[in-house]
Amino acid sequence: MLWKKMIRDILSNKGSYVACLVIVIIGLIVFTAFSIVSDSLNLSKDTFYREQNFAQGFVELVSMPEHNVERLSRVEGIKEISGRVVREVRVNAPEREESIYLRLVSLDLSDSSRVNDVRLLEGEELKDRELNAWVDNQFFHANELEMGQEIEVVAGGRAREITITGMGMSPEFTYPLRTQTELFPNPEQFGIAFLPLDTMAALFPDVQGRVNDLVFTLEPDADFDRVKDRLEPELEQYGLKTIYSRDDQVSHLMLTEEITMLETLSTSFPLLFLSIAGVILYIMLKRMVEQQRGQIGILKALGYSDKEIVFHYLSYALTVGAVGGLLGGFLGILSATPLTELMLEFFNVPEVYEGFSLYYLMSGLLLSLTVFLISGYHGCKQALRLKPAEAMRPPAPVLGTKNILEKIGFFSEMLTIQGKMAVRNLTRNKGRSAFMFLGIMLSCAVVALTWSFNDLVDKMIFYQYEEVEVYDARVTLSGPDARDPVERELEGHTEVARVEPIAEVPVTLSHHWQEEDVSLIGITRESSLYNILDSEGRRVIPSDKGLILSERLADKLNVSVGSTLELESPFLRDEDSSQRVSVYEIIPQYLGMNAYMELSGLEELLGQGKLATSFLVNVNNNENKEGGISLLRDRYRESELVAGVDGREERIGQAAELMETFGVALYIYVLVGVIIGFSIIYSSSFIIVSERSRELASMRVLGMTSREVFSVITFEQWFLSFFAMLAALPLAQLMQQGLASELSTDMYILPGELSSESLFAAAVITSLSIWIAQRFALKKVRDLSLVEVLKFEE
Amino acid sequence: MSTELIAAKNLKKRYQMGEVTVYALKGVDFTLYDGELVVMLGPSGSGKSTLLNIIGGMDQATEGELYFGDKGLHEVGDRELTLYRRNEVGFIFQFYNLMPNLTAFENINLSVQIAQDPLEIDGLLEQVGLGDRRDHFPSQLSGGEQQRVAIARALAKNPRMLLCDEPTGALDLPTGIQVLKLLRDFCENYHKTVVIITHNTAIAEMADRVVYLKDGMVDRIEKNAHPLPPEKVTW
Repeated sequence: MLWKKMIRDILSNKGSYVACLVIVIIGLIVFTAFSIVSDSLNLSKDTFYREQNFAQGFVELVSMPEHNVERLSRVEGIKEISGRVVREVRVNAPEREESIYLRLVSLDLSDSSRVNDVRLLEGEELKDRELNAWVDNQFFHANELEMGQEIEVVAGGRAREITITGMGMSPEFTYPLRTQTELFPNPEQFGIAFLPLDTMAALFPDVQGRVNDLVFTLEPDADFDRVKDRLEPELEQYGLKTIYSRDDQVSHLMLTEEITMLETLSTSFPLLFLSIAGVILYIMLKRMVEQQRGQIGILKALGYSDKEIVFHYLSYALTVGAVGGLLGGFLGILSATPLTELMLEFFNVPEVYEGFSLYYLMSGLLLSLTVFLISGYHGCKQALRLKPAEAMRPPAPVLGTKNILEKIGFFSEMLTIQGKMAVRNLTRNKGRSAFMFLGIMLSCAVVALTWSFNDLVDKMIFYQYEEVEVYDARVTLSGPDARDPVERELEGHTEVARVEPIAEVPVTLSHHWQEEDVSLIGITRESSLYNILDSEGRRVIPSDKGLILSERLADKLNVSVGSTLELESPFLRDEDSSQRVSVYEIIPQYLGMNAYMELSGLEELLGQGKLATSFLVNVNNNENKEGGISLLRDRYRESELVAGVDGREERIGQAAELMETFGVALYIYVLVGVIIGFSIIYSSSFIIVSERSRELASMRVLGMTSREVFSVITFEQWFLSFFAMLAALPLAQLMQQGLASELSTDMYILPGELSSESLFAAAVITSLSIWIAQRFALKKVRDLSLVEVLKFEE
Repeated sequence: MSTELIAAKNLKKRYQMGEVTVYALKGVDFTLYDGELVVMLGPSGSGKSTLLNIIGGMDQATEGELYFGDKGLHEVGDRELTLYRRNEVGFIFQFYNLMPNLTAFENINLSVQIAQDPLEIDGLLEQVGLGDRRDHFPSQLSGGEQQRVAIARALAKNPRMLLCDEPTGALDLPTGIQVLKLLRDFCENYHKTVVIITHNTAIAEMADRVVYLKDGMVDRIEKNAHPLPPEKVTW
């Protein structure tokens, strides 16, 4: 019988139960789906790394005889080492507007235990001495290539046809980025091609018998830093650029960061949601037990035991917990596959789908039942304390008191009678008010944080390409000797309005024991195409006396303005020496982590002549910039001196396109914040209406409209919400700082400051969800039966 | 002859209680006049509360006509009924229905602030004998005191009529007499209409007219040639 009572009770107040259920379901969807996805990614990653013998150390150098690689394998701590040639080339595709690049990576076909081996997905083995290559699967699909198709690349100043004989994937390029300032892979314009080592030598005569890249694995107990220390002296003579561990390898870094984030979210997010749902249910049950006091008395009088009665009320909580747990779990399992697919769009790892996971379904259910068992028990335990006779008597009258807020003279005078009621109601049920306050605060903070992701994108991409790098196109040189001829040529082109040289030099900066490998960018003093901006957005003129560092770099090196750094670089005239240079200024940088210097100062520091790695160009025709860039690209399509011409607009367009994918996710998060706010106000309004129906009806009888009566409740909610939203500002700020320091990497830095727009948007969105929830409760006030409510004693 | 305040013509009220239709009023005709004190008597289920609720604009009849002056209350919407309750009617219930978190003064002020021509609150509190209790909350007042606050709250709007549903039902005799005296005073001093529904026949002795209800209909209406002063009423 009591089951029927429970089901009918739930049905008669279905709105509040549904609100509670929705929160549980969202929490458990995230729990199940994210857990499954992170497990799948982890499994896929580990298998992939193991099977393809993924490197634990990476070395970039200028050039080294290939036969020396064998000697390096004897360095203590190194298990296996492979020498490679890595070069970037341009694909000659006149039909395509944008530039397409391929990174060519050599494979030593004679080596059976290659480090960073390629998993061949389709096609045939590579053949020595033939112009054949495997390309990565993302590039293959994005450009709709076919087996046996020939692609023309510009290598060593010559156009060469390479035949695609296979398509594969490598653990080294699970998240292939072409440059440091890119955030997302762009397989349409950038791919990896794997070629036999001797084919590389055929394409680039200068690397005949030489390698410029090493990858190695470590002995089980070896320490990377020690191995690095042992390798450095061995490699100095070959123009060592950098040695880094797997932890700093871009693809690995991005993949592990993503997995960590999924793991963190899969526990924190559901716990937060289940707690909110638990508290809502606790409040609802508590109110129900109060309301059904008489019924409890009758049940006790009939001879029902305390245990049976408590179990009856617990059954409400357990029903919500079980239904929510199962529904959330199943929906989570269903969404795991599309979510994994989405992840696989970004991360090129072998597909592993863990379809149905009984483990996560059951643990989700258990988690949900536990939370509801606890909250349900606390909600209904008062039923235990009632003696039957006492239960059938009305509860003690509500004690009216003035509260602390009314002691504020001017505030008290401002209040209408309804206002006074509302303010006193705040302290009438302190626990509930506290919950509402915390809930609204959290909801608002979540929305603010989510909204700020928009700013973040702005800062990371649009700031970089609209404020900092304001050129129309970048002409990348294929080598240091190309500067003078290309500059002369560029200046001669009619479509070119302005040309500025820029040099990007790999350097190692050290300060005491801190050391960082970064790209030092040399810019002319009068540059107007590359702006270095301080935190106020003012242009900083690069100095020839010292370095400008990004904030993150300065932090990592533990330096401030005026500190002196040690600088090493393969570009130094005397490669074995180092230079001392001071810190001139520190600036914010959101994409990448760089140091800057005035170009001639940099040339002098390195002891080099005129230096440039690219030219920044503004084209003339403002009406048709695209045309100008296109013309420029055509001019250098087969040039030996120019490695590529990239339009800035294209990059912005690509970034914007990618951000749209993220946009959907952002709106989902905003929606989540809205749902929290809505559910809290919705359920608390319903409880308030039921608890105070007599007071509300009395006011209606006095002649107040439903709206006037409801204003007592809304005033209370708005009053509380106002302060909750105010409190959400520092909370959101704290959360943002936490996120920024947690998620920032050397590749991108999340701003720690929340913008006022996102705070404003959060306040508006939270207010809107409160307002909508109140409309539902207003209906309840309108439907109050005055006659019924007032006729009987409470 | 006093002017007509309320005229009910063939009022019927049906409730659907699950599958059963309950006929609470089966065709009631009667008139209320300005300034009279009317007691409606009848056993439980006779329809007196239903009638009072309809007269007071808390409910509407299923059939029939009800006029307040020349305004047909049977044909107006919710909004106008609210205005009617706001401006013309004061209600008093058996269980007071005060706001627990407002003081006596504030409870009265709650109705003053929506009234068009309200009475002065402190004067009313003196009148109901609670001048020294103005800042007390309901939980600090006795039942009789709470009912007096409820009366003052109903009077404060200065309504045309006062509708009282068993106003002494929860009170002892001396306190009940005090309450009845207040109602009689209001009726005489302000020339307002007071309707009291009760099943306590003794109270009928203080009425100008007594409406007897039985089984959802007016059984008979009696006029009291010599109404007793409330102090003389006893039960």
